[in-house]
Parts: sequence; structure tokens; C-alpha cells
Amino acid sequence: MKTAVATDHEQGWDFEKAAMPYVDSLYNTAYRMTRNSEDAEDLVQETYLKAYKYYDKFEEGTNFKAWLFKIMKNTFINNYRKKKLTPHKIDFSEIEESYERVIQKNAPDLIKDPESEIFQDMMDADVKRALDSLPHDYKMVVLLADIEGFSYKEIAEILDCPVGTVMSRLYRGRKMLERTLLEYARKYGYIRGGAEPAKMRSRKDETKGRKKKDPETGEETDVEPEADEEAILFADDEDVELEIEEEEEPEQFEIE
Amino acid sequence: MICDDVKRVAYFFLDGKLGENKQNDFKTHVSICPDCEQRVSIHRRLRLFICKRLSRDSAPQRLRQRLARSFRGLTSET
Ligand SMILES: [Zn+2]
Repeated sequence: MKTAVATDHEQGWDFEKAAMPYVDSLYNTAYRMTRNSEDAEDLVQETYLKAYKYYDKFEEGTNFKAWLFKIMKNTFINNYRKKKLTPHKIDFSEIEESYERVIQKNAPDLIKDPESEIFQDMMDADVKRALDSLPHDYKMVVLLADIEGFSYKEIAEILDCPVGTVMSRLYRGRKMLERTLLEYARKYGYIRGGAEPAKMRSRKDETKGRKKKDPETGEETDVEPEADEEAILFADDEDVELEIEEEEEPEQFEIE
Repeated sequence: MICDDVKRVAYFFLDGKLGENKQNDFKTHVSICPDCEQRVSIHRRLRLFICKRLSRDSAPQRLRQRLARSFRGLTSET
């Protein structure tokens, strides 16, 4: 698909004119990544300078916005994540369980007044705080999908990971975010209860079946948690295998 | 499709990412299962809420000016 951008490029493209419309998107994402306005500004500035410099590497006809986001992600990793963070050990089954509890207990409240916003009185700052509480990788997919509207495939390209990983993180990221919001809603009295305070406990806390006892010394050691962060959901269940549409997905959904 | 399947794929349904067959199975189940219908509505309402509330912080004017200055510098070099 030839776009106006590609044509302009061939004729000596005005980079500034093409790139500046994305400054709000880039800044907003940079701010949520760095949580600091100065760092966010520096990150966006550096992203634009790199994009200008490497513009000849941009494949015409591909998504320019996604390309800018990819440069920003790489810049962020180089500048801010040199020290590899220890992976978050999150007990997702615990999150799922408490999510189910709160949904079951509050379903009627959560679907009444469908015309108005679900937690009208909740402060924007609380919603942002909930997002910021997610581990970085999960926050990124939620931002890219739900705020910036990128497709799974574009997100996979921006983050350099398989589409299955994007879906897995999206599933978990959204669930964690929703759970945190439900928890705030309970705390501020918008719903009655059911969501116990977040216990993002590490797997260490689960004693049953998680310890390995040395038969010689009787010493107990923690069993390494399986590397499930990158695990692709549904991979173990052929019946529920997803048929992913690779083409542009329709924005609309409907339920009869 | 059973209720557990709906739970697992509800987000992807809302993203319009299920294949045609899965999507039809999903819709059929939801049309006859009030629990799942509720669940999907809740997901959808939460999604709308999140998108609206996390809408963009605009880039500060200071940053726009700084970028404009950089671009001027870059174009005058060439
Ligand atoms: Zn059901």
C-alpha cells in the first residue's frame, strides 16, 4: 500500500511535518515508561533525532508511527534498562482467582447504568496509578494496544517478540489492570467487596509443592519457577486454539 | 465453546481478533449464557473506561519548541 508519506519521501520528504503529529503519542508513552517528565522529554527528543538520522532505513509504505515507537523502545532499553531488571514473579492464578471473586460478587453493580461510565467518580490519577503498578512489559502492551491502537502484529514488531507473547501479555496485563481498578473501586466504595488487597506475592510464598528437599541433608530449596512469562496462552489446549486474523482487524465488535 | 473458553478469549473477541468460526461460537455461547454475557459487558465497560481515562498527556510546549529547534538545526546542516 503506497501512502502519502511514501510518495512525499521520494520527493524529499518534510520529516518534521510527517513526524510531529506523533509527538503527543510518543510523549504520553514515554512518560508512562519513565514516569518522569524530564526523562520523557529527553527520550522523545532522542527518538526524533535517531528517526531523522536513520530515516533511509525506514521501509516506505510501512507504519511510520510503529517505526517511531520501535526506535523509542530501543532507545529506552539502551538508556534506562542497561541493568536488566529481575523478572517479576507474579502469581497469576491468584490474580485470576480474586478477579473471579470480585466479578461474581459484583456483576450486577458492574453492569448497571450501561449508558454511563463504569467508575465515574474514580480519579484519573488513580487509573494512571493502576497502570503504573503493572510490570513494565505488561504496561507496554496495554499502552500500545489500548491507548495507541496498534495491532498485535505491530506491537510484536515494536517489541521484537512473537505475536503469541503479545497476546499473552495483553491478557495478563489487562487482567491485572482491571483487577487493580476493581480493588480501588472496592476501597473507595463504588462496589461492595470481593477483591482482597493485591497480594502480588512471589512464588516463594507458596510452600506446598514448591520446595525441594535434599534427601541427604534435609535442606529445603526453592524450586525454580517455570519461565511462564513468555508462555503462550492456549498453547496447551488445541480445542481453544485461536485463529488469529492477520489482516487489519475490524475495530467494531458486536454481540447479538 | 464453554464458559471457561469464553473467559480465556473474551479480550481477543473484543479486539475483533477471533477467527470467523471462533467468533460465531463465542457469540452463540454468549447469547445463551447470561453469566458470560455479563462478563463480556464488564470487560467492555472496563476497557472503555481505561481507554478514556488513560487518554494522552499532551507533549509539553517546551518539548515542541525544543524539537522545532533541533529540526531547524538539522535542516540547516544539509
Ligand atoms: Zn457461559
